[in-house]
Amino acid sequence: MSTSLEYHTLDQSSKWRHLPPPPGFASLASTTKTPSAKAVAAATASYEVLKEKRAWDFAISPAKSLPMQAFMLYMSGGGVQIFSMGIVAMLLLSPFKNLAAINTAFVPFAPGPASPSKANSLSTLPLQKIAYIACNILTLGLGLWKCRSMGLLPTGTGDWLAFESRGPPPELTLF
Amino acid sequence: MRWLSLLSTAAWATASLALHEDEAGVVDWYKAQIGVPLSHSPSTSPAFHMEPGKPPTEGLLLTATSSNVLAALHPMNGSVAWRYIFKSDDNIVYYQRHNNIVASLSGPGGATLRTFDFTKGHLLHETRLHHPNDGRLLEPDDFGTSVAFASDASDMFVLTSGHVLQRLDPTGDVQWTWTSPDQTSLVIYAKLISTETAVYVLGLTKSFASYTIHVTAVSPTTGEVLSNADIPSTILKGPSELITLTSQTDKNLYPHVVWVEAGSIRSVALVPKLNNKPTSIKGSTYDKIIDIGMHAEGYFVALQPDGSSRVIRLDAETSGLKIVWDFADSAKADRNTDSLYTGGVDKDGHPYVGRVYWSHSLSKASVHVYAPFLADGKGLVSGFTFAFDSNSHGIISHAAIHPAYVKELDLLPYVALTTTTGAVQLWQGDRLQWTREEGLSRIQVAEMIELPEPLSTASHTGDESFVGRLTRQLSDARDFPQYLAHFAKRFATGSYATATSRADPIDADVSTPLSRDPFGFRQVIIAATDLGKVYGIDSNTGEILWSRIFGLGWAAAVGGRVIPVKLFVTRTVSDGREPQVVIVGQRKADNSLVDTVLFHIDALTGDDAHGASPPGDVLQGQDLIAGPIIEAYLLDGDTKTVVLLDEYRQVYLYPDGPEHQKHFNRAAPGLNLPLRTGAPGVRQLTGHRLALGVGLDNRAVAYSTWASSFAPTEEILAIIPRPAGPVASLGKVLGNRSTLYKYLNPHTFAVITTGANTCGVYVIDGAKGSVIYHVALPARGSCDVQATFVENWLVYVYWDEEYQWIGQAKGRRVVSVEFYEGRAVDEKTRSSELSSFSNKTLEVTAYSRAFVFPHDVTAITTTATKYGVTSKDILVANTKGQIQSFTRLMLNPRRPKNKPTAEEQEEWLVQYDPIITDEPRRVLSHNYRVANIRRIVTSPALLESTSLVFAYGLDLFFTRTAPSGRFDVLSENFNKAQLIFTISGLAIGIMVAKPMVRRKKLQEKWYH
Repeated sequence: MSTSLEYHTLDQSSKWRHLPPPPGFASLASTTKTPSAKAVAAATASYEVLKEKRAWDFAISPAKSLPMQAFMLYMSGGGVQIFSMGIVAMLLLSPFKNLAAINTAFVPFAPGPASPSKANSLSTLPLQKIAYIACNILTLGLGLWKCRSMGLLPTGTGDWLAFESRGPPPELTLF
Repeated sequence: MRWLSLLSTAAWATASLALHEDEAGVVDWYKAQIGVPLSHSPSTSPAFHMEPGKPPTEGLLLTATSSNVLAALHPMNGSVAWRYIFKSDDNIVYYQRHNNIVASLSGPGGATLRTFDFTKGHLLHETRLHHPNDGRLLEPDDFGTSVAFASDASDMFVLTSGHVLQRLDPTGDVQWTWTSPDQTSLVIYAKLISTETAVYVLGLTKSFASYTIHVTAVSPTTGEVLSNADIPSTILKGPSELITLTSQTDKNLYPHVVWVEAGSIRSVALVPKLNNKPTSIKGSTYDKIIDIGMHAEGYFVALQPDGSSRVIRLDAETSGLKIVWDFADSAKADRNTDSLYTGGVDKDGHPYVGRVYWSHSLSKASVHVYAPFLADGKGLVSGFTFAFDSNSHGIISHAAIHPAYVKELDLLPYVALTTTTGAVQLWQGDRLQWTREEGLSRIQVAEMIELPEPLSTASHTGDESFVGRLTRQLSDARDFPQYLAHFAKRFATGSYATATSRADPIDADVSTPLSRDPFGFRQVIIAATDLGKVYGIDSNTGEILWSRIFGLGWAAAVGGRVIPVKLFVTRTVSDGREPQVVIVGQRKADNSLVDTVLFHIDALTGDDAHGASPPGDVLQGQDLIAGPIIEAYLLDGDTKTVVLLDEYRQVYLYPDGPEHQKHFNRAAPGLNLPLRTGAPGVRQLTGHRLALGVGLDNRAVAYSTWASSFAPTEEILAIIPRPAGPVASLGKVLGNRSTLYKYLNPHTFAVITTGANTCGVYVIDGAKGSVIYHVALPARGSCDVQATFVENWLVYVYWDEEYQWIGQAKGRRVVSVEFYEGRAVDEKTRSSELSSFSNKTLEVTAYSRAFVFPHDVTAITTTATKYGVTSKDILVANTKGQIQSFTRLMLNPRRPKNKPTAEEQEEWLVQYDPIITDEPRRVLSHNYRVANIRRIVTSPALLESTSLVFAYGLDLFFTRTAPSGRFDVLSENFNKAQLIFTISGLAIGIMVAKPMVRRKKLQEKWYH
């Protein structure tokens, strides 16, 4: 057995159906005034400028958060603990995540009524994207610097000692 | 932060050090030994001493031993009542017991007199009679020394150096001294007789081709000479042919001197005026008289030319010597060995004379005891045979008797035997009461050998029918309920084997062959002594599992001894079969021929792996080289081959099969053999290589390639090879993550030399002779430098005599040296695989630090673990009788002199402190006094954290140590119950919560 709920009966029998619609709500399609072509062009241009500005803002946004992240790193201390490791992991991973999603991140700022495929291509907003990559590299650099100061980067010979091996000696001395 | 890390360092270091009280006696064992009794002279040989009127159980068996110990054993159980260990330069030459005092003379010419309490062994007093350098060295050692007790008081007359007589009161004060007037004269005094009227000092005057007896009578009160006399006599050999007799029963009887001259026994009565003439016993001829240690009772034994023996006594009726007994069948015969004669006194003071011999026909030993006072004074001989095991204890070299339980017509004496293998046995009648293997105080070579896993039951082979398999599996399943119960119990109670419990084998069944415990703590110690015996010792308990005597081969006819030189493990458990060892021995026959013999033994059972000698018999060796060897090595590789070099530097292999030959021929071009060459005193080290097929019989011959250039006055004392253990890490990582690469040149070894006034410590490359490290240490007369060398770490201990600077004190120093590749950090030369022809082998940096050490050291070594990951401790046997361990942390040569920086702290470096304190926590040996340790052997257990330690010398000691803590087993206080409760609690929680959550989720779906 299946039941179905019929809301329209509820609509018709409602005692509120004679109430006027709320202000700004028109149940009927309002008459639209077509604006002048000039005004449209101006609006579009200012919108494009705004988008470009926003794209630049977005491109350098990782750099803006760098001071804050540096302060967090400073506060988390030099020890290898869960908190500092979390921050470092975030710093190391987020640039890669950002770069992987770089095209989709810039889609809203794509100039003009670009087709989705064009908006998604790497060649749109190239300067902003380069800046964005640079800023992400800065973040990554900060993470690596932190790793190094915590001794997590295998830079010394001591880090590779365990992989060293020696063969048997060519000659033997018996005692 | 810094303090915290320092604190944790300290805590970590100490936690691994201290031995817990409840582990003592569980993880370790200790065997106090006395050494092999000296049986050549009655003044040092074993003898029973009883306290008058007390039961024989309270008597003691006193003896001086070849390990320079004066000891007393309980005759009841063979335990050590007391022992006094003399210093090595103060050898015991004489002991005598009188009432409650045991007096001993030791040192050259009897330099030091000590008196001991008889029952407790307390040292009552010690008197230096003369400076050891002033003592006259006479041969044998006890010649010219004697002690006699004054008859009235407890004063002692002491003869030392063959010409000084002193009277000492019980406090050790000298009452008077009489020195032989003419020290350059040819008289050497040897014996003392104390009477009320005079002290007779007997000596020998050297005359042409023989000796003449000389007697001096000295007043006991003043030390004046009463009279002097030469007794017309001819003594051919020396003082051993002279016997003094007194009689305790009859004080009016004059003391006598007895000797053999021209086939007759002559004697003279000693009176203060010394005017008696010698008399002879008429009737028969005699060859020899034997001192049976009964001069106070007036008994001795005389041998006739055919070997038959007579008991002769100083008799009151005749006022002279009287033959009292002839031992029947005592003549020399093929079916018996020559007899040993011995004397004993029972608790009432009655004398007894015993005769002990081995019967070839019966393969048993016999004792005949003559009791003169039994059978109404006519004398009675009581004899019995006992099953002395000649195949495991050798030949009886000394016997002491004590008639403990005397019945009217029967004697049941205690017989204490000393054998040529160093065993001391006590027989009561034909029953063996106990055996002490004192030969273990003379171990020459010892090694620990891993045991195999317990055999899994019934491994089936190949084809079997369905029914057969079914029955086998059914029979296997028989043990299943037991296994299940055991598993449940183990799971519930958590009673696993722990690292601090006794290492019992998994399957403690006596009938099964030896097997290891879960952690491999149980091993078998193979130890060979220079008395020609090899022992297999259970490292778990110290019990002797098996022992074999080295056979003499052709030298059995002329006599000789086998001295083990090297012990090689030729097959280990990892080879998949029973472990085997090869003992390389030098057989020195009494006709001065030296041969090299090999004994190939199964380590678990002591069976002859060669198959030549059946179990229980004497172990027959294989004569490999008719001559001595220079050196023997083990070539380890595809096969394990023993390589021996004879005195012409020709190579012999054992085993000699084609596979071994092939392996050797392949390895030979790259082999280096550093040898000690040259005459004693001017020895040099010479490196050798091998030329194949140029010697006799196509043998390989070693030819020299390089020679060391020690100064002509420099003598090589010891060569310390680097043990070829696994190296876990190739370098040392510093705080800034740069690396110091360890210098692991496989050819290096350390050499200790002694020179004119320096001792030298060298590290030499054995492939080309280059000196990698050299220090000259100030010497104290002789060099007693002890060193150990492992991986790239050399540690040596020495006595520093120099103190020419203010504030510089003399003392013992330990120096820790580490060798690293290259000249700087991060430089590497790959030294462990470098060709010895490379110039880079000399690019070494040595870091060293010296520390002040608390005690003198007699043996030093490092711990050894299976993979070499665990840090290595230095193990040291000190002169205080302790085995101590010192951590590498403490002896790190890179310890900074200033406060450690953060980087240095990361390396666990602590600030340099020149003094290593004598911390009791570092003592592994609990409170045992582990005396005169000569060597410490370490062996890895299956647990990487743990190293087994076996120390031998006079005493034996075994323990196990975990230098870095027991990091690979759960700690003792791990709460298994808590873990199980938590897990089961969580499981129950999940079970309860799961339906509730499911219900709740359903509800949420409905109402949201």
